[in-house]
Amino acid sequence: MRKLFSYVNTYKKAMWLALTLTGLELIVELFQPMIMAIIIDEGIIKGDLGTVYLWGGLLLGLSLIAFIAGIVNTFYASDVSQGVAHDMRRDLFRKIQQFTFKNFQSFPTSSLITRLTNDVTQIQNFLFMSLRIALRAPLFIFGSMIMAFFVNVKLALILLVVVPILLIIILWILKKGILLFQRVQKKLDTVNGVIRENLIGMRLIKAYTRGSHEEKRFFNFNKTLMADNKKALRMMELTMPILLFGMNLSMVFILWYGSVELNLGGAQAGEIVAILNYATKIMFAFTVFSFLMMNYSRAQASSTRIVEVLEENIDEQQETKIETFQNVNIQGSIEFDHVSFQYPSSDLPVLHNLSFTIKAGETVGILGETGSGKSSIFQLIPQLYHVTSGEILIDGMNIEKIDVKELRKQIGLVPQEAHLFSGTIQENIGWGKDHASLDDIVQAAKEAQIHDFILSLPDQYETRVGQRGVNLSGGQKQRLSIARALVRKPSILLLDDSTSALDAHTEASILKTLKSQKCTTLIIAQKISSVKEADHILLIHEGKLVGNGNHETLMKTSPYYQDIYYSQVKEEAGQIG
Amino acid sequence: MVKTTNDDKKNASSKQTGNKKIKAKDIKGTLYKIWLYLAKEKGLLSFVLLMIVISSALSLLGPYLMGVTVDRLIEGWDTNRLLTMLLWLVLIYVLQSVAVFLQNYWMIGIAQNVVLSMRNQLFSHLQKLPVSFFQKRQHGELMSRLTNDMENVSRTLNSSVIQVVTSSLTVLGTIIVMFWLSPLLTILTLTIVPAMFAGLKWITNRTGQYFKEQQKTLGDINGYIEETLSGQKIVKMYSQEQRVIEEFERKNSALKKSSYWAQTYSGFIPKLMNMLNNVSFAVIVGVGGILALKGHISIGVIVIFTTYSRQFTRPLNDLANQFNMILSAVAGAERVFQIMDEKEEKNDESQAKDITSLEGDVRFDSVSFSYDQSVATLEEVSFHATPGQTVALVGPTGAGKTTIISLLSRFYEVEQGQGHIYIDGMDIKNITRDSLRKQMAFVLQDSVLFKTTVRENIRYGRLSATDDEVIFAAKGANAHDFIMKLPNGYDTILDSEGQGISHGQRQLLSIARAMLANPSLLILDEATSSIDTITEMKINEALQRLMKGRTSFVIAHRLNTIQNADLIIVLKNGKLIEKGTHDSLLKANGFYAGLVHSQQGKSTLA
Repeated sequence: MRKLFSYVNTYKKAMWLALTLTGLELIVELFQPMIMAIIIDEGIIKGDLGTVYLWGGLLLGLSLIAFIAGIVNTFYASDVSQGVAHDMRRDLFRKIQQFTFKNFQSFPTSSLITRLTNDVTQIQNFLFMSLRIALRAPLFIFGSMIMAFFVNVKLALILLVVVPILLIIILWILKKGILLFQRVQKKLDTVNGVIRENLIGMRLIKAYTRGSHEEKRFFNFNKTLMADNKKALRMMELTMPILLFGMNLSMVFILWYGSVELNLGGAQAGEIVAILNYATKIMFAFTVFSFLMMNYSRAQASSTRIVEVLEENIDEQQETKIETFQNVNIQGSIEFDHVSFQYPSSDLPVLHNLSFTIKAGETVGILGETGSGKSSIFQLIPQLYHVTSGEILIDGMNIEKIDVKELRKQIGLVPQEAHLFSGTIQENIGWGKDHASLDDIVQAAKEAQIHDFILSLPDQYETRVGQRGVNLSGGQKQRLSIARALVRKPSILLLDDSTSALDAHTEASILKTLKSQKCTTLIIAQKISSVKEADHILLIHEGKLVGNGNHETLMKTSPYYQDIYYSQVKEEAGQIG
Repeated sequence: MVKTTNDDKKNASSKQTGNKKIKAKDIKGTLYKIWLYLAKEKGLLSFVLLMIVISSALSLLGPYLMGVTVDRLIEGWDTNRLLTMLLWLVLIYVLQSVAVFLQNYWMIGIAQNVVLSMRNQLFSHLQKLPVSFFQKRQHGELMSRLTNDMENVSRTLNSSVIQVVTSSLTVLGTIIVMFWLSPLLTILTLTIVPAMFAGLKWITNRTGQYFKEQQKTLGDINGYIEETLSGQKIVKMYSQEQRVIEEFERKNSALKKSSYWAQTYSGFIPKLMNMLNNVSFAVIVGVGGILALKGHISIGVIVIFTTYSRQFTRPLNDLANQFNMILSAVAGAERVFQIMDEKEEKNDESQAKDITSLEGDVRFDSVSFSYDQSVATLEEVSFHATPGQTVALVGPTGAGKTTIISLLSRFYEVEQGQGHIYIDGMDIKNITRDSLRKQMAFVLQDSVLFKTTVRENIRYGRLSATDDEVIFAAKGANAHDFIMKLPNGYDTILDSEGQGISHGQRQLLSIARAMLANPSLLILDEATSSIDTITEMKINEALQRLMKGRTSFVIAHRLNTIQNADLIIVLKNGKLIEKGTHDSLLKANGFYAGLVHSQQGKSTLA
């Protein structure tokens, strides 16, 4: 909650105004009964219409003031609660943007989504409510107790015993409630996760007619969510009957003790009535209080989850590096010096002691079996992951010392899976570069051999693409994804098997265009034909470099390469698109 | 991106004006639908109502008896009678608390059951919607309907039913007593009711819109978060953090705005009621005073009335607040029902039959198709594949290969008059969709994984398969070796992003899945594109085995798969331009031959 207060602090002025206005409303409210009593006692009963009009007018005037105060208070309370919610979402999203892949492993996407929307909403609701009624409940309870003491100390002692006991019970329930609601939110994460998985795999699920299987899975998770929800809500609703009973019982005690005192002359009947009245008031205040507590427990549960994200450690050495090379203009030579690597979450080494050098402007092919570690090499160059040992040098500089943003700005990576975003084609290609002009985009589309296709669409570059590019074929997605990399005019271009869904003809034209570009190009491929023209080819087998040379050299020196070659020649009488 | 937001805004505002006209009907319709869910719990609901009546009655009886006791106390009761009375009071309070507890306990049960079944039904309905529905929607936006919108319904159902009933009972009771005391003053008190309604209408007209807007923007932002996080790798790679943060900020501000007004207008309600309450008091004492002076009513009645008028407005205030809560639930529920009202995949024709086995005779009879009416994706495509044949679909990207497969598996439907597809001589429209797909196995372009073990991911192909069968299929797909190298072998948990295994390995898993399914019709959509050729050779062997005796449709670029096909269908711009075997097509010396020759030229260079 401390973190929450630091957020509220931004809206200090609005908050204090809101609270002051609530106070003003409260004062008017406290005067109301008094004025009403005067109107009745002095006006009506005495038949003095003048008094009725005078005080009646005053009452109306005051209630108008209270009304205005209330309306203004609403604005400020909204200001604070919406402002805090907005800032929390902003900071959460910013923080997540700094996450490294390691961080993402501790927070599944679906959980982050729940935290950013549902959890923030819980806090927002609580804040709004508490700014409008928070003061009321405790003030009423406190004030009524004091008044009771003025009336009759002995009888009021009963309240002094009962009220704290009830408060302790509420706090105990509150503590339980927070834990229970935390579980509810966690379950919500899981349900969210199942839905997301289902949506991503919808085609496959339909293809295998696994709808009912998916339903069963979802129903199960949904059921546990419901069960936990019931438990938490019921726990919190327990406060109400307990409070009612506690206060009512204390009133019975007051009656009984009052009768004893009455007989002894220690109390008067009017005092008993008055104290009973205050007890009733406390009871009403308590019900409001318990409602507030219910919301508090939800907000507290959610706030813990939000703080978890905000305080997550980011281990990427960012701008704070001591010796950073800023504004580097990368030529594009790459050197791997005894690089070994394993993913942080696993203990399986992926790359062993890899060393090779690539000169600026060269085109280099990378060949190897599925799972041999080719893609991992591409993850290391833009520092998506860090080497476990060894060094990667670009233009002779250790990449760990190059500012990550600067480094990535000069690299165009086309991943295996062409991930597109919902938006227009122009937006998707332009994504690769800040303020890309339409000319840049068209140019890149032409180079990626997708321009003609785009022109054949009804809205051309304005055509909308669905999430993950669902309405495009695999080859179209790959070409858009290549265009997105080319629009950056990168110094280093990394193609991770990104032409696999293209017909041979298109692939050949793209490779030709790439060859004419100035940048250093690394191509992971399955087919020798895709990399045959490369300056040299790195042959990776089980994370080790087993061959390095151009096609002719490898044909002579590497039996492994020959194996691949002959296996492909058999089928590679040609590629048909 | 700026443009998009503007468009959205335009849409939103035009929708708002549209909504205004049909709003009342909308709310009623939505409430009725919610009621249908509640009605399923009628039994328990009537118990809740009973408890509300009891607890309300007891909450009146308690203070009344207490008042009586105080009066008697002053007269001087003996201790025994006092103690009996006090015991009665304790009993009443115990009962009241029990009744309150039960009504809450049961109501939460009912509310959560309703939420459970609404959410379940929404999910089930999603399973039945056609693929085309999902092309237009963001995942996160749909997710928001299942969580955030349902949350609104849940929040309201938990408390509103009890509150509405309790408040209505109190209002009703108070009005009856007031009429009994003085009809004239009652009417005076009721004069605030029209003012109240006018004010309430003014407010809810606004909150209703803003609640809708709020849920919509919340869905929007949920969609944006989901999509951005799914593509986080690209965001990082291209250092576009600042751009997505800015876009998020725009959506965040839009949400803040709509949410701000929804909350603010709602917040006016208690303030307004409080003021009207005071006005009503002033009117009663003012007019009542005049009447009393003229001797029409006694002063005592006015005094009592002022108390009652307070008692009358408090529950009215509660009711007004609840009405607003209900509006927020309606805004959520509407978005849920919106999806439920979406047309399901066209129902199977009434004469549609379940099939339990297939020979695999597939015939396309001048089939045309278009995704969005404007451009034809397929034009008059006809071909015939006999059982056991391997059909290769060849053509440049975007020629319509995937469309043929989508039509065959009925992801999309051939429209009336746009041709027919026959399997074993039956129009596929006459075969139930599920039984048709059960006879097919797919290896799709994107290999989808679920967050569970490797074993379960393969078993997805046939849920009844034994562990041995799973391993057998994995071996057949050549996935066994790499699986054994994973930290926990077949029990390694994969996640849906497929981290930890390569793209090619994911494809191997989906091939294993298809092998396990043991289908009559096999569909391979660029299935082997990311597998290295050595592995692919091994897989091809297995695939050949799998394809034997089954009709298979293959989209591939590798010549050897195509070469061995029994039927090659060459597509270009949605038209079937050539069909035949490898040899016959080479002889024909057309488009296909051209493709092969251009490639062979390259090959010989190799």
